[in-house]
Amino acid sequence: MPMKPKGYWCLVLHAHLPYVRHPEYDDFLEEDWFYEGVVETYIPLLTIFEKFLEEGIDFRVTMSITPPLANMFCDELLQKRCLRYINSLCELAEKETWRNRYIPEFLETAKMYEAKLKNARRMFEKYHCNLITAFRNLQDTGKLEIVTCCATHGFLPLKVHEKAVRAQVRIAREDYQEKFGRPPRGIWLSECAYTPGIDQILKEEKISYFFLESHGIIYGTPRPKYGVFAPVYCPSGVAAFARDMETAHQVWSAETGYPGDPNYREFYRDVGYDLDYDYIKPHLHSDGVRRNVGIKYYRITGKVGLNDKQPYNPQWALDKAASHAGNFMFNREQQIKHLHGYISKEPLIVSMYDAELYGHWWYEGPDFINYLFRKIFYDQKTIVPITPSEYLEKFPKNQVISPAASSWGDKGYYEVWLNGTNDWIYRHLHKMAERMIEIAENNSNTTDSLKVRALNQAARELLLAQSSDWAFIMTTKTMVEYAEKRTREHILEFTSLYEQVKNSTIDEGHLRWLEGKDNIFPNIDFKAFA
Amino acid sequence: MVSSTSGKNTTRAVRSTVQNELPKNYGDTKIVLMPRDPFWSYAYWEINRETRDKLKKEHGNKGKLTLRVYDVTDIDFNGSNAHKHFDIYVSEEAENWYINVPEVNRAWCVDLGLLLPDGRFILIARSNFLSLPRHGVSSVTDEHWAILQKEFEKMVKLSGIDKIGQSSFDVSRLMKERWEQLMSMPSSHVSSFNRPVEAHVVKEGKNFWLRADTELIVYGTTESDAKLTIGDKEVKLNPDGSFSLRMHLHDGEIPLPIKATSKDGSMSKKITFKVTRTTK
Repeated sequence: MPMKPKGYWCLVLHAHLPYVRHPEYDDFLEEDWFYEGVVETYIPLLTIFEKFLEEGIDFRVTMSITPPLANMFCDELLQKRCLRYINSLCELAEKETWRNRYIPEFLETAKMYEAKLKNARRMFEKYHCNLITAFRNLQDTGKLEIVTCCATHGFLPLKVHEKAVRAQVRIAREDYQEKFGRPPRGIWLSECAYTPGIDQILKEEKISYFFLESHGIIYGTPRPKYGVFAPVYCPSGVAAFARDMETAHQVWSAETGYPGDPNYREFYRDVGYDLDYDYIKPHLHSDGVRRNVGIKYYRITGKVGLNDKQPYNPQWALDKAASHAGNFMFNREQQIKHLHGYISKEPLIVSMYDAELYGHWWYEGPDFINYLFRKIFYDQKTIVPITPSEYLEKFPKNQVISPAASSWGDKGYYEVWLNGTNDWIYRHLHKMAERMIEIAENNSNTTDSLKVRALNQAARELLLAQSSDWAFIMTTKTMVEYAEKRTREHILEFTSLYEQVKNSTIDEGHLRWLEGKDNIFPNIDFKAFA
Repeated sequence: MVSSTSGKNTTRAVRSTVQNELPKNYGDTKIVLMPRDPFWSYAYWEINRETRDKLKKEHGNKGKLTLRVYDVTDIDFNGSNAHKHFDIYVSEEAENWYINVPEVNRAWCVDLGLLLPDGRFILIARSNFLSLPRHGVSSVTDEHWAILQKEFEKMVKLSGIDKIGQSSFDVSRLMKERWEQLMSMPSSHVSSFNRPVEAHVVKEGKNFWLRADTELIVYGTTESDAKLTIGDKEVKLNPDGSFSLRMHLHDGEIPLPIKATSKDGSMSKKITFKVTRTTK
């Protein structure tokens, strides 16, 4: 660094999707979450990061790639289907460029899609359909720091068995080692849900830092001298970084946030609904129901109904993303200068977002990140982007605080995951954890390979049932049926495996089928529960 | 229900578990306490048949099923040394309850029991101990990291304390809200948003209006391994050699020279359409 910066900025993107993979169907609606993430978020981000490297633009991004997502990246079936999805979109995009060739107000947008989708295909094929390779390479350059997450995004404070909490962390750590060729330094606790004591488990599992919602630190004991603008050490010695609300608000706020700008792309106006049925049908699911396919020609326009939306203009949208990036940077410089009046050291601002916001929901989000790091690199000297482990290396002396229980969900605690729509799941999840611990302890020395397989599969079923996504979906009331079905199926499969292990009546045929279907964590070791 | 004495499992029986009902209970007698936020906890419980029968035999139908909530902050709770307690009567059928606590930053334990008319409390099960999430800033200051009250207040404000609890920064939620907002607008009430591309012909009166437009579909078939071009554009054939292209049809004359060339390039066929649109 040529000059000593006034402060540091840490961008954290939480990339997560629940493990959705249905080999029993040729075509499965909810698998689209993954394919859309690949095309709209993960590849655009990778493209930008690789471009930074190529052009020598220094940048720092911290990303959680959760174990379910990492396992989906590595799964051959999903890779094959993702390529099929990309190919179908590329074909549609080509047809669209043709269809719109005499409509100047849509032609540029059609061309943009064609170019972007073809780039997505190039990137996907370049990494032989496994994007983990791309992320791992970037991490090895030191510009991107990848943290792990709880094994299946389990919501730790709502578990009652310590061993179940530990297993979520240990299995994640082992999976990370396998995927990224090194142990994880940090962890993203699902939904930033923390309760005192979790830090001790992290310590024992050799994790050195995690992220918290701001009141986790503000309400910590003793009083945090630097508020959320410096990490703290928990009594266990594990560091905690808290979210800065100003940057969160600036991007997210429904009213004043960037993504709602009239020039940005309207998510809800999609050719899946707009175009002639026979024309769009080959690009819909096999049930033929009209849904979003990802090609959209209109901009948000303003507070108008869907039919009054105006055509999207890619250049205007890019210009807007650049100006929002400039605004964001300016505000960080101001924020840091302002904080200097109150803090005797260089403040750290931690901005945490769901990765899927960038690209999938906010279409121009990746462009925003692109402009932002370029501007930070070329246009200012106040702030320096940093990763948590770089920060801790530079500033190893931090206050010791017991953070307060909290989450980054609505209302700041656990209600989103524990309310009248989903509370029924916990009596089952807890019983399953209790039973898993029981059979893991009783069989920890078993050499019976069939039994080991059944125990490992029982562990997978339990972990998949523990995904906080299901409880979340039940609360948001969209796709509830799927979340309930998944929860029920994992409970029932687990219960059946538990009985079979206990009674030594393992049904190998069904076990094999289940191993092929719920195949997350190919190298899981059930003894994580013992 | 899957019972622990089911013994032999045939393949069919196990596969069918997926269609089965979830276990209604697990044969336990227990109560579990979980945290929701600084003010609320959630308890669920189960009383097995054996316990129910025993209670009935000993006390008939006289008792009321009760949750006795104890404040066990900083003590080694032994059943009678709680700081204070309060009772919640629940119905026989209830299996869970949200408990609003009267004081924040305390630890709680709940006894599930029968409260008899003579005031005796018959314990059925005791829950785990639970500290609810801390509410409010700490009063403890660190001597190595001392901070004045005024400075701390400022720091708390800068850290965004005013936004705590309003942080519903969840994308899918925001997007859902946007969708609902859009749907509440009159011009969005269409069964599918099936407006043909963009209207080029608009005739609007006061309340009466008409929008119309045209599109053109070009389709056909050739040998499946042939190369097909329309104008200067190469068109990808479907596996059966069919093709179809759709485009906007604007005013004027549009020439459409379609050319198919065999794989080895030795043969070719050409068909040319000329389409004209005029708007009056």
